[in-house]
Amino acid sequence: MALKGAEIMKKLPKTNCKECGFATCFAFAMKLANGAAGLDQCPYLSPEVRAELEGAMAPPIRLVTIGTGKNAVAVGEEEVMFRHEKAFFHAPGIAVRISDTLDDSDIEEAIERIKGLRFERIGHELKADLIALSHDSGDRERFEALVKKAAGACDLPLILVSEDTDALFAAASLCADKKPLVYPVTRENMEAAVPRLKELGLPAGVRGNGLDDVIAVTTGLKAAGVEDCVIDAGAGNMMEGLRDQTLIRRAALKKGFRPLGYPTLCFPCNMYGDKYEEALAISVLMIRYAGIVVTSLMEKEFIFPLLVHRFNIFSDPRRPMTVEEKVYEISNPDENAPVLISTNYALDFFIVSAAIEEAGIPAFLCIKDTGGIGVLAAWTSGKFTGEAIADFLDRHKVEQKVAHRKLIIPGVAKKLKDELEEELPAWEIVLGPSEAGDIPKFLSKESNA
Amino acid sequence: MILIGEDLNVMSKTISQAIKDRDPEPVKQYVEGQAKNGMDYLDLNVGPVKKAPAETMEWMVDTVQGCTDIPLCLDTTNPEAMEAGLKRCKKKALLNSASGTEESRQTMMPLAKKYGSGLVLSVINDTGLPSDADERAGSILESLEYAGELGIPNEDIWIDPVLMPVGVDQRQVLAYMEFIQMIPDLAPGAKSVCGLSNLSYGAPKELRGLLNRTFLVIIARYGQDAAIVSGFDAELVRLVRGEMPETVSLIHRAMDEDDVDLSGLSKEDQAYVKTAQVLMGKTLYSNSWLEV
Amino acid sequence: MTFEAPLEKYAVKIREVALGTGEKARNIGGEDTLPFHFFEGALPNPPGLALEIMDTAPRNWAAPVLEPFGDAVSDPVDWGKRCVDDFGAEILFLRLASTDPLGEDTAAADAAETVARVADAVQVPLVVWGTAVEDKDAEVLVETARVCAGKNLLLGPVLKGNYMEVAQAALEHGHAIVAQASMDANLTKELNIALCKFFPPEKIVVDPTSSALGYGMEYTFSIIESIKQFGLVDKDKMMQMPVLADVGVECWRTREARENREQGILWEAITGMTFLLAGANLLILRHPEVLGLIRKMISE
Repeated sequence: MALKGAEIMKKLPKTNCKECGFATCFAFAMKLANGAAGLDQCPYLSPEVRAELEGAMAPPIRLVTIGTGKNAVAVGEEEVMFRHEKAFFHAPGIAVRISDTLDDSDIEEAIERIKGLRFERIGHELKADLIALSHDSGDRERFEALVKKAAGACDLPLILVSEDTDALFAAASLCADKKPLVYPVTRENMEAAVPRLKELGLPAGVRGNGLDDVIAVTTGLKAAGVEDCVIDAGAGNMMEGLRDQTLIRRAALKKGFRPLGYPTLCFPCNMYGDKYEEALAISVLMIRYAGIVVTSLMEKEFIFPLLVHRFNIFSDPRRPMTVEEKVYEISNPDENAPVLISTNYALDFFIVSAAIEEAGIPAFLCIKDTGGIGVLAAWTSGKFTGEAIADFLDRHKVEQKVAHRKLIIPGVAKKLKDELEEELPAWEIVLGPSEAGDIPKFLSKESNA
Repeated sequence: MILIGEDLNVMSKTISQAIKDRDPEPVKQYVEGQAKNGMDYLDLNVGPVKKAPAETMEWMVDTVQGCTDIPLCLDTTNPEAMEAGLKRCKKKALLNSASGTEESRQTMMPLAKKYGSGLVLSVINDTGLPSDADERAGSILESLEYAGELGIPNEDIWIDPVLMPVGVDQRQVLAYMEFIQMIPDLAPGAKSVCGLSNLSYGAPKELRGLLNRTFLVIIARYGQDAAIVSGFDAELVRLVRGEMPETVSLIHRAMDEDDVDLSGLSKEDQAYVKTAQVLMGKTLYSNSWLEV
Repeated sequence: MTFEAPLEKYAVKIREVALGTGEKARNIGGEDTLPFHFFEGALPNPPGLALEIMDTAPRNWAAPVLEPFGDAVSDPVDWGKRCVDDFGAEILFLRLASTDPLGEDTAAADAAETVARVADAVQVPLVVWGTAVEDKDAEVLVETARVCAGKNLLLGPVLKGNYMEVAQAALEHGHAIVAQASMDANLTKELNIALCKFFPPEKIVVDPTSSALGYGMEYTFSIIESIKQFGLVDKDKMMQMPVLADVGVECWRTREARENREQGILWEAITGMTFLLAGANLLILRHPEVLGLIRKMISE
């Protein structure tokens, strides 16, 4: 939200009349800020105040959706420059480009490869989320054939790229129901583009030669009633892209400058000939405020690291990342391998499992779901108590995996030891180290004992 | 400022052992000490109490009520223990606590209505801990609506915005201060309460009291109604009961002014000023904040 | 509405720390703006890119990383020279892995001698790193400081439990230090305050502890970004030290990096680049190709 509750409050009547359905004006203001209430609900706002609030409440960076259905990609509506200030809300879309200069079978293969760029990581799906279709052949029919094929062969949202405005919109009308992004819309072709954009209801990929040019286009488009824009200031390399996108986001967030209040679009595929360089540029530009990146890369070895990177950076720093609850088998444990248990806070999981791997000692690492909170807090709130752990061991049939009955618990959880001894009389409860760094030494000693 | 003494707590080895052994003596001593220091409520924290919850809580309540008239604040996550305790309380008790989670709404909140107790209502909900003042406001508004439907009036509600350790997330401490100032407009008639010692969790042991006391003075100025505090901290009581007006005034100046001249101030007062500045977010917290 | 680009100027700088001596000495830090913001401030020193070598042949390094070096890895001097001469490392990072008490437990005197040999053989600045076992590191780093007096090494990790001895030795014998705290800005500040009571701030580099892509990278990223904010924007003097990120070791132990060469290179390159973007001033890498790649990208 652009305006905070306390700021909205200043414009309200402050009578606490309750006619909006809330107990106080302040409560109403909070709900408005959250989008959980509408300005309509207050009968006492003058038209001027209403208009003012409506304008101010609009998010400083517009939310633009490309595509439809479950694969639609929504970008924009960001609130901060740095993820630690709050969070980044919409991960950038990664669009893989196919050129119409490819022959049919290569195009089919490319589409399949792109569809195959999906991976699972700690219970989440990571995938390339758009296809960019590029008109490079100069032959309109070829371009339209490409667009038809792609639109028919997969559900991913599309970006249509052509310097020939007529060809661009002719192709767009073939798949308008899929709500593709059309690019470029420039100062030169704006006039011709506007009626087509409005008629087809499509978002505009604006390109300008620098920020001033972009501003001229977005201003013109807005005046003409086109507000769904993704903007490209024409950066030719990574550093320029970083600069442009930083200044755009700053203008939108810190200056409330609406003509640049849009998500951005960049083309690393046009910036570098070398795959590694392109990949690195993408990793940087995704952090520095890209809404969409268009890439030429289709190899798993290049896309997968970028997907993990995006997943990491766009995780919400306010919510602990969690891993799946289960019994993890590290280095092929057998029935004599030690059994350890901890919480599902992802960072702890990575550190503990890495320490175990480093020790070179096969082990079972039981990970209990505690909503991502650490050992002590989880114990206090009843999620990592003797009872809860006994229940875990039962559900995951841990007794069947090992011949021994020794359970190693995190060293900080001293109170847990007594509880577990009561709940699990058949098990010996051992306090492990308090620091993950001491795990290898500890496990060594245990295996020699 | 309503002060709730926190020391009858299962985290204390002495009390934990006393509960285990059903030995009333240590409990009585703790009651006496906190009462003498001027606590308005006594918090009885029996923890998740998996073993014999009702019986344990009853014993605790009986033992405490056997040697004092001070009203009680019952502190447990176990609804069975909570209900048993509320039944046993002679005076209007405080239920510590319910939250915005679905589970708490079902198991804890109705108990406050049933037994006519006060209700400590935390801003935590099923999404977790709100990350800023606005999110806290959103959470508490929803909880208040639900409490209202259950028939619990704002006057019986003590809002806990959940104070985080300054060494873990300093911004959450700033969010806390921002939020309590919203409460009168957000929830007219409701009170604010906090677990003050949370603030200094992780800080050097000998400096925890200083952090807690300074913060209490700051939030008192912002309208804080109640706090769960170290029941034996005599200086804390003096500070908030108006017996150290100059120090309080200094802390207020540290809140308002960018630079307070430390020359001529006693070591203790210098420490209060520096602490106030850090708590107000004027500089990044570190455990050595007094040494800079 | 004419548009004025919203440039930001900060009134302070990150301190400049000098590494090494002689012709190949170089500085890190010194910037008065955010990473790569050439358009609004001055960044006098490009980030330092170091290649890692160990004082003993590695037993568990990923194959793609060992491949460029062949047999050279069995001697730190050979290895170091390969890094500098063949792969253009402008800084060398020597990890004294053999001093690990749980491993070979090499004596401090022997380790110090190895450092001296390497330092004499290569002219580039040398970062010397222990095993983060506080007592042992104190011995090793103190002895190294003495034996290599005047060489202006960068010694680390300096930890809460051993900073007194190590920093004192660094001060006496003319070296800089890396203060390491675990993923926590408050702890970083605390250690710096303790150090600055007797140690010059302009010889301190901080290491908030790194983690690899997919294994906690974002935590390190945000800590480094916030350290820069505290230093430049909030002007916190105790947060104006340049930052080191030890990336190679973290990345090449991951399954993902080890299972495929290209993926491994990208794993290290993306992690390293991400930390540079956050504000790291000195990057410790393992694969020479990653060094070349990053150097090219940041020289645009």
